[in-house]
Amino acid sequence: MKRNTKTTTKKILFQILALLFIGFMLLPIYQMIITSLRPAELPWESPAPLYPDKVTFKNFTDAFHLVPRLPRYLLNSFIYGFGVSLLSLIVAIPSGYALARFRFLLKRPLMILVIYANMFAPIMLLVPIFTIMKTFGITNTYMSVILAGSIFTIPLSTWLTISYMQTIPVEIEEAGFIDGCTQYNVIGKVVLPLMKPALVSIFIYSFITGWSQQFILALVLINDDKLMPIAQGLYQFFSRSSVRWNELMAAILLSTLVPIALFLLVQNYIVKGLTTGSIK
Amino acid sequence: MYKKSSAYILIIPLIIAFCILIGWPLINVVKNSFYEATFLNPAQKTFTGWRNYTWLFTFKYPTPNISYFVAAFSRSLFWVACSVLIKVIIGLLAAVLLNSEYLYGKKIYRSLLIIPWAIPWAMAAMMWAWTLNGQFGIINSILLNLHIIEQPVSFLSTNASAFITTFIVDAWVGLPFMVIMLISGLQSIPDSLYEAADLDGAGDIRKFFRITIPMIKPVLLTVSLLSMVWTFNSFDIIWVLTQGGPARATETLPIAIYNTSFRMIRLGGIGKASAMTIMQVMVVTIISVFYIKTMQESEPK
Repeated sequence: MKRNTKTTTKKILFQILALLFIGFMLLPIYQMIITSLRPAELPWESPAPLYPDKVTFKNFTDAFHLVPRLPRYLLNSFIYGFGVSLLSLIVAIPSGYALARFRFLLKRPLMILVIYANMFAPIMLLVPIFTIMKTFGITNTYMSVILAGSIFTIPLSTWLTISYMQTIPVEIEEAGFIDGCTQYNVIGKVVLPLMKPALVSIFIYSFITGWSQQFILALVLINDDKLMPIAQGLYQFFSRSSVRWNELMAAILLSTLVPIALFLLVQNYIVKGLTTGSIK
Repeated sequence: MYKKSSAYILIIPLIIAFCILIGWPLINVVKNSFYEATFLNPAQKTFTGWRNYTWLFTFKYPTPNISYFVAAFSRSLFWVACSVLIKVIIGLLAAVLLNSEYLYGKKIYRSLLIIPWAIPWAMAAMMWAWTLNGQFGIINSILLNLHIIEQPVSFLSTNASAFITTFIVDAWVGLPFMVIMLISGLQSIPDSLYEAADLDGAGDIRKFFRITIPMIKPVLLTVSLLSMVWTFNSFDIIWVLTQGGPARATETLPIAIYNTSFRMIRLGGIGKASAMTIMQVMVVTIISVFYIKTMQESEPK
């Protein structure tokens, strides 16, 4: 009996703690949602309401008036994200396969290099990236952000490819070899089809990472408004002296839906990929 | 069968990528750290030798007591320590909580937890800026409604509160990764250990310190090192929330690098920023060495 009440209190306590934690984690998202639903004409007062006192969807259309280039910024972000992911996969697939399947001289140093390079963030190479791109006169191009962005997604994509490859049994490929396939036939006909779901999730993960890193890279590489990614585009409206919070939050909500949806779609793959894999 | 020659062919794209995308910028930044140039025309540069490196320690700005770089660097270390400490402690407790048999709806909690992970940092920081707004932010609302405070607080306008607020927001950004990784670490602990402890009549706290902590230590160590690097490289959060202000209270090394290269045209410059970048890269490299070592040690033989 005593033990039962103890378990019940523990259950209630844990539930409350979990709710508090998730509440903290979702607080800015909640704030964004209720602000974007609140009529912009309604004056703010302190303390501000904790829940939407009046609901409207006008902010979502007004966001396109406040930020006239909103669709363009989103398109740019997609172009950058897509370019970065594509470039990452082009490098990651063959090299991830080689590092997972072969034993060769450069293997260990390359593995360590992949892990080391994975530690790099845009700020560490921001100055040289800028000077190189500036010297070649390719700042303010899609190419500059895509190339710079891929620096930081190639190592992770390669790492994830290696760890997925390690979960595929070698026997399947050996059967291909016995049937007389060449190495490249085996990759094309056996490995790639098996890897398809993994490749989709690696693509999406580098897409999301690239999407996040666009801000700092574009800050130094892009000053043409037509080429700005969404975060930089919206930042212009954020750093003004009087911020139109309702419309801005609606714009941010609209533009974060895609990455969130994509991420929820592939979360299981990503978590599995990040937690497995070894250097050898 | 697997032929070594095909391995060397398959690996070519990675080697090219490493040389062009990482090797080249790294060589460039080392070279530039011995020159002086402005961002307006980086190709026009003059050789200055080690002067950019001595500048790091002799340029006392804005106060005459401490050099600009040393101030930013030590601020960075303190900021990283605070943020990582929160991530590790809250992260571990949250992981244990979200993995507990006493909790209903674990799956839902975990899916909700992952959402902040997918939000681009700059966007998250803009959301937080509004959440923390000194008059109408929801945090002020909650605190006022609970009568914890009498007057709304401007979280980002005094030195100390801006410093604390930025590292808490940074911890918020890093927590989902931390918790998810630690949960998968917790799930790899065999149940039999806990069952044996139950038979011995051990309490929850004792089990946590005697089983959970020792068993999860390798995972905890690797994610902590990873999180240290990410936090040390954190730029977007501070940039959007405070731009390094007020009065440089949140000007960590990444912010200082940006300011030196692109904002302080007369006092800074590409060369000096390059020397600072080298320091940034060196810290990350040192942590990486530990990271790679722990990864090798925790590897199944």
